[in-house]
Amino acid sequence: MTIKIDNEGGQIIVRLAGRLDTASAAEIAPDIQRLAEQADKHIVLDCTELAYISSSGLRLFLTLRKESAAKGGKLQVRNINADIRQVFMMTGFISLFEII
Amino acid sequence: MDLHTEFILDEYREALPVFERMKEDVTRTLREALARNGLEVTAVEARVKTEKSLAGKLALKGAKYATLSDITDILGARIITFYTDDVDRIAAMAEKLFEIDWENSVDKRRLHQLDSFGYNSLHYICRMPGYDYRFELQLRTTLQHAWAAINHDNGYKSGVEIPREYMRRMNRLAGMLEMADDEFSRIRMEISDYRRRVQQLVQNGKLDEVLLDGDTFSSYLQAKPFERLNQRIAAINQAEIQEVPLNRYLRVLKALGCNTLEDVRQMRNKYEEDAYALARHQLGNTDLDIVSSAIGLQNICIVCILSQGGGKIGLLRLFDVLNGHNSHNEELAALTYQQASNLPFMRKE
Repeated sequence: MTIKIDNEGGQIIVRLAGRLDTASAAEIAPDIQRLAEQADKHIVLDCTELAYISSSGLRLFLTLRKESAAKGGKLQVRNINADIRQVFMMTGFISLFEII
Repeated sequence: MDLHTEFILDEYREALPVFERMKEDVTRTLREALARNGLEVTAVEARVKTEKSLAGKLALKGAKYATLSDITDILGARIITFYTDDVDRIAAMAEKLFEIDWENSVDKRRLHQLDSFGYNSLHYICRMPGYDYRFELQLRTTLQHAWAAINHDNGYKSGVEIPREYMRRMNRLAGMLEMADDEFSRIRMEISDYRRRVQQLVQNGKLDEVLLDGDTFSSYLQAKPFERLNQRIAAINQAEIQEVPLNRYLRVLKALGCNTLEDVRQMRNKYEEDAYALARHQLGNTDLDIVSSAIGLQNICIVCILSQGGGKIGLLRLFDVLNGHNSHNEELAALTYQQASNLPFMRKE
């Protein structure tokens, strides 16, 4: 699981690659916490290379979304695969995130 | 320029930093008090009179002022409200924050003559704790402010004679704005009454008397009508339930034929078991231990659509509303349809 954070054209692009399971969610939690401090900005979670998301991964997304809403930022989730889309739907979160 | 004017201008230059500090303190105090009292306003503004403006004022009426302290609008603050009844609320708030110089304060709302066009606002002359100089606080509505700004732009100043024809037209406009201000306040009050009535009906269970709209749906949700189903679904994997807004489902419920809150309640009762069965089928083989508080309602809507023969197209429309139009929604609708297809409620069809 890798995470790469770049500033591109006024947006913070967070590229997640691999499997966001419980262990890797714990590894990237500090990165997400630092990102939460900039949650007033436009953040895009690019999931093009993300193969799988667990509940722990969902929790990180939710933390970021909550901070973004509180700070008046914008959070988008980009290019999730069919499996991850289904996870969002099965857990009732499909309507919570802006999925592009 | 005479000596008296020079003296006051010298005093002004020396006191300017004090006025700038006072401006910051007054603005901050007003904003904090508005926030504490839950009062939303269009704007909170303040300005320190420029030296040029003060010199102009002294040229016209210098004899009236012995010292700088006699001039009460070196610092002018203004609060522009949305509603006319908020002016009185904020006035009461200001009376607690500052010492009011009642002798020099003016309620111009009570002053204007029938045949003059109105300039309605409340002017308080105030003293802020910690400062010797007074300042002026104007309170007016957005429409009153627009009126004042337009009049100013037209070059009207109090006391200047305006041709009768224009006076009549300005009077008509002033009357319209005053009526609009009153009507805005009345509408706000009636909406508050409506919300209270709806809450009462919901609390008393009279849901068939309540039409489904944004306000009534919000009231209904306060009673957490989907909590039991959510908890049953969460129990599948001992999941935690994350609270999320459900307002997007209003459009879905209306599209599914719900006109009253009673319709929503009946739909919930009718499809609750099948909604749980769908969740058990989807989540049972996973270790997902977090669900949203929308899961119950979402699944009720899915089951309702499929039970009514809506099929994949119906599900696609549902996901388009929930997720925004997206090319992947079709795939999601097909997958959901496939997952539901073996469930008893689908075999009933």
